[in-house]
Amino acid sequence: MSATTEPLLAARDLVKAHGRTDALRGASAELHAGEVLAVTGPSGSGKSTLLHCMAGILRPDGGSVHYEGLRLDTCTEDRLSALRRTDFGVVFQFGQLIPELTLTDNVALPLMLAGTSRREARARAGEWLGRFGVGDRADARPGELSGGQAQRGALARALVTGPRVVFADEPTGALDSLAGEQVMTELVSAARASGAAVLLVTHDARVAAYADREIRLADGRAAVTEGAV
Amino acid sequence: MTDDVKLAWLFTRGSERREWWRFGLTAVGAFCAAGFAAAAAALASLRGGVYRIPYAEGLFDRPGERAGVVLALLLLLIPTLGFLGQCARIGAVHRDRRMAGLRLAGASPLRVRRIAALETGLACLAGAVPAALVVGAAVLGVGAPPALLWAAVASAVLLVPVAGALVSVVALRRVVASPLGGVRRERRTAGRGTALTGVAVVGGAILLGILGVAYAGRLGLDAPLVLFVAFLLVGLGAVWVSGSFARLTGRRLAGRAENPAVLIAAERLRDDPWAAARTHAAVLLLTVVATGYTGVRQALMDDLLAAGSYPPESLDFYVTGLDLTAAAVGIGLLITLAAVAVGAAEGIAARRQGLAGQVAAGVPRRVLSRALLLETALPLAPAVALAAVGGLAIGTFYATAVGGGLTLPWTALPVPFAVYGTCLLAAATAMPLLRRTVRPTELRHD
Ligand SMILES: Nc1ncnc2c1ncn2[C@@H]1O[C@H](COP(=O)(O)OP(=O)(O)O)[C@@H](O)[C@H]1O
Ligand SMILES: [Mg+2]
Repeated sequence: MSATTEPLLAARDLVKAHGRTDALRGASAELHAGEVLAVTGPSGSGKSTLLHCMAGILRPDGGSVHYEGLRLDTCTEDRLSALRRTDFGVVFQFGQLIPELTLTDNVALPLMLAGTSRREARARAGEWLGRFGVGDRADARPGELSGGQAQRGALARALVTGPRVVFADEPTGALDSLAGEQVMTELVSAARASGAAVLLVTHDARVAAYADREIRLADGRAAVTEGAV
Repeated sequence: MTDDVKLAWLFTRGSERREWWRFGLTAVGAFCAAGFAAAAAALASLRGGVYRIPYAEGLFDRPGERAGVVLALLLLLIPTLGFLGQCARIGAVHRDRRMAGLRLAGASPLRVRRIAALETGLACLAGAVPAALVVGAAVLGVGAPPALLWAAVASAVLLVPVAGALVSVVALRRVVASPLGGVRRERRTAGRGTALTGVAVVGGAILLGILGVAYAGRLGLDAPLVLFVAFLLVGLGAVWVSGSFARLTGRRLAGRAENPAVLIAAERLRDDPWAAARTHAAVLLLTVVATGYTGVRQALMDDLLAAGSYPPESLDFYVTGLDLTAAAVGIGLLITLAAVAVGAAEGIAARRQGLAGQVAAGVPRRVLSRALLLETALPLAPAVALAAVGGLAIGTFYATAVGGGLTLPWTALPVPFAVYGTCLLAAATAMPLLRRTVRPTELRHD
C-alpha cells in the first residue's frame, strides 16, 4: 500500500490509562483505505486499547484520532455511535451477537437501525450469511451455533452495512486453528471484495500473516513497523 | 455439610459486587417477609380474646379488627415474596455458571443443590433474625405473652429461610440436570395451554377463597388464613398468567417488529418469559386489590355520608380503618415497585457484556434502553388491563350491592393507569445503570 496518500484512519501519540495501568504511552498507527493492517504484540501490550480508541469506542487521554478529516477523540458520543453503525464494523473474540435474536435478525439489526425495512434487511442478511456458508443456520440463535459459525455470523453483521473499516479484535481467539483459518480467509477476502480496510488485532503470528502490513506494540508503543508481507 | 457451608461462604465472599447485592437485597426481602409473617402469627395466636395493646390506637385490641390486620399483613407478604424472588435472581446467570462449573468439576447434583440452597437460606436467615428481634421486642413491650405466641413467631421466622432454600433448589434444577446447563442455555419449548392452566388456577383459587370464607366458621378455620391461601394461589396463578402473557406478546411481536428496540425486547420475552413473571404477578394482584379497594372505598364513603345516621366517632373509626387499608395497599405498591426496579437492574447487570458489545458495534444506547423498558411495558399492559377489569368488577359489584341499582365506582378508573405508569417509572430508574455498567471495559476477555 502506498504510504504517500492520506491515511483513512490515523492515530497519533495515543495515551490511555486504565486506572493506574498505562495501556498506551504514545502509540501511533495509520490505516489506509482497503488495506489489512495487523496489530500484534504480547498479551497486555495495549492492542485492544488501541483498537478501541481508533474505533471511537474509548476516548484516549492524549493524542488524536483522525478519520477522514473528523477528530474522533473529540467527537460527541452520538456522532461516534452513528459512525460505528455506518462506517465501521466490529468483530470481537465472541459475544457481539445478541443471544436472543436469530442469526438473520442479528445480521439484519444494523440495517434496521439505519431505517431499512425488516423484510429488506433480512433478505440482505440472508445473502451475507449465504456468502459465509452459514445460510442454513439462519434461524438458529447464537447459543445453538458452533464457535466458527457464530464468528461467521459476526463477520456478516460487521460487513452487511458496507463499512469502510472493519475492526477485528482477536476474531479467531476462541476458535480451533482450522476454523480460525477459514474465518480469517473469509474475513480478508470479503473485506477485499467490498474495499473495506481491516484493523486486525492478534497475538498470533499465523493470523497476522493474512495482513498486508504489521505493526508491533510493546509496552503501549508501536515498536516495529514492517512492510508488505 | 460443614464443607458445603464453607464452599457456599467462599463463593459468596470471593464473588463480585453483584453477589453482595443479591445477598443484601435478599436479606432485606427476608426481613420484610419474616417481619410481616411474625407479626401476623403473633396477632393470630391471640385468637378471640380482648386485650389492651398500646399500639395503633387500640386497633389490635379486639378480635374483629385483629383479623383484618392479620389479613392485611398476610396480603403484604405476597408482594414481599415476589420481591424476594426477584432479589434471589440477581446475579443468577453468574451463579448458574458457577454451579455448572462445580458440576463439571465433579460435584454431585445433590451437593450443588445443597450449596445453592445454603447460600439463599443463609441470606434469608440474615434478614429473618433481625425481623424476629424487632417483633420480639414489640411483643415484650406489651407484657408477658403466652407461649403459643412465641411458638407462632418462631415458626413464621424459620419458615422464610426454609422457603428461600427450597425455591433456590427448584430454580437450579436445569443447571443441576447438566453440567453445561448454565453455560449454554438451550431454547426451551414450552407446552401449549399454559395460559389457560394459569387462568384455571386463578379461577379455582378465587372459588376456593369464596367457599373457604363462607364455610370457614363451620370448618373451624380462620377466615384470614383461608383468604391468604386463596390470594397466594391467585398469586401463583398470576405468575403463570403473566409469564404466558410475556411469551405470547414476545411471539406475536418478534415476527413482525419493524423497530429494533421492539424486536430485541420481543425476542427476549420469548426467550425467557418468566424472568419478570414474579414481579409482574405482584403488580397484577396489586392492581386488582388497589382498583377494587378504591371502588369499595368510594361506595362505602358515599353510603356512610349519605346515610347521615352514623355518629361522628363511628364515622371516624371507619375512615381510620379505610385509611389503614390504603396505607397497606401503598406499602404493597412500594414493595412491588422495588421489585420492578431490581428486576430491571438485574436485566442490565446480567447482560452487561453483551450490551457493551452492542454499544461498541454502534447500537445506540437509546435503542437498548428502550428495549429494556419495553421488556417491562409490553407484557405488563395486557396483564394490568385484565387485572383492572377484575378490580373494577369487584368495585362495581360492591357499589351496586350497597347503593341499589348499577353504580360505577369511577374513582377507581385511574388506578390501573397509575400503577402501570409508576411501574414504568420504577423500571426507568434502572436505566442510568446502563450508562454506568455498559462500558468498553466489559469487552475484555483475556
Ligand atoms: N478495564 C481495564 N481496567 C484495568 N486495566 C486494564 C483494563 N483494560 C486493559 N487494562 C490493562 O491495560 C493493559 C493493556 O490492555 P489491552 O489493551 O487489553 O492489551 P492486549 O489487548 O494487548 O492484551 C494491560 O496491562 C491490561 O491489564
Ligand atoms: Mg486484547
